[in-house]
Amino acid sequence: MDIRFEQAEARFEGRTVVHPLTLSLSERRIGVIGLNGSGKTTFARMINGLVLPAAGKVTVNGFDTGKDGDKVRGQAGFIFQNPQNQIILPILKEDIALGLKSRKLSKAETEAAVEAVLARFGIAHLGERRAHELSGGELQLAALASVLVTRPDILIMDEPTNQLDLRNHSLVERTIHSLDENIIVISHDLSLIADFDRVLFFHEGRLAHDGPPAEVIARYRELAA
Amino acid sequence: MKTLYVEGDTFLHRLSPRTKLVGLAALSLFLFLIHSPTVLSVSATLGGIVYASLRLGWHQSWLRLRPILLTIAIVALFTLVLNGWHDALIVITRLTALALFAAAVTATTSTGDFIDEITRLAMPLERLGLVRAADIGLSIGLVIRFVPEILGRYQAIRDAHRARGLKVRPLTLTVPLIILTLKNADEIAAAIDARGVRAQK
Ligand SMILES: Nc1ncnc2c1ncn2[C@@H]1O[C@H](COP(=O)(O)OP(=O)(O)OP(=O)(O)O)[C@@H](O)[C@H]1O
Ligand SMILES: [Mg+2]
Repeated sequence: MDIRFEQAEARFEGRTVVHPLTLSLSERRIGVIGLNGSGKTTFARMINGLVLPAAGKVTVNGFDTGKDGDKVRGQAGFIFQNPQNQIILPILKEDIALGLKSRKLSKAETEAAVEAVLARFGIAHLGERRAHELSGGELQLAALASVLVTRPDILIMDEPTNQLDLRNHSLVERTIHSLDENIIVISHDLSLIADFDRVLFFHEGRLAHDGPPAEVIARYRELAA
Repeated sequence: MKTLYVEGDTFLHRLSPRTKLVGLAALSLFLFLIHSPTVLSVSATLGGIVYASLRLGWHQSWLRLRPILLTIAIVALFTLVLNGWHDALIVITRLTALALFAAAVTATTSTGDFIDEITRLAMPLERLGLVRAADIGLSIGLVIRFVPEILGRYQAIRDAHRARGLKVRPLTLTVPLIILTLKNADEIAAAIDARGVRAQK
């Protein structure tokens, strides 16, 4: 994985939300923390080109998010803050298969890939279920399956353990820890990212601290106190 | 509302979605050209037999058919009052036949197959440069996916009004519903982009 920000800046309606940022990311597991509204989600959306830089540029594995959006999104999968809006088709299996459409696989190959990814996350029994009936934890796992079925190099997750009960929380946490993909996780849940390789701390749209988790989390606690 | 498909391996399940959709279209045309109560009654009975062959059980069948059968009953009642029993008989047999055959098709065609078929049928429009055929299929999938979600949200907003002792008026409910729905639409659009569903091949 190779993500580069070069003086990249994000603005909404003239207001700067992420100030010009230069940064390169290659660690396998990266956490992103910061107060509400500090720009974490916007930063993450800049990585996969859902938010394009108003100035500067962002590249992912060599692809420019502004010029090669589709290629970038093939490299970097994204799990949204509300996973229920990410399941697009009514039946889970069909939804997961949707991501594979552009690969032009045979029906049998598609089915095998879908079964495999469902089994990987222990949700084979949910394949025929309707998305609007799934619980929060099930939805989070379903969203993971729907994104990882296309085998992206990088997976970005926006508050994956938000609103989960204790059991689903530890289930999703264990699942995240077992992933062998490159991951970037935004979280208010500091224990989730405590053993990651690097943590970014955003404050008021700027990267306030950047380094090993223990150090950066300590700074965050100081600020919040 | 739920998707109406049921897993199974009956004759209708194995028939290609195209045959079923085209067959259903031809049949409905036929039913609207015919005015003989006898032929229409026979069609309705045949529809009943086809539907029964899916073996959904009385309870399931009643739950699925209840809304449409009630609608037909109301329409037939009005026809009876306004146009007399002959027309009412035609209306009731014609619509019942149509409803039963259509219900049998929806119960045996999965949403995925249905979307694929609609996409294929829309290909000529794509060649004319009017639309992207895949978008039409995707839109239908999105409607089936999100209508229950929007209804659920409507109930949540209604409950929130009740819980706070606010009067429940359709208009006061509609405004927050529209705002929530638009906000969700943005997120869903972002998800479609993020997952590369509409990516150019
Ligand atoms: N689409 C948008 N249009 C206008 N302003 C936006 C948009 N998205 C985000 N913002 C603003 O940008 C700022 C940063 O928002 P962002 O969602 O990136 O914060 P965050 O760190 O993810 O917060 P949270 O922890 O609450 O999720 C906020 O002030 C927000 O109001
Ligand atoms: Mg956020």
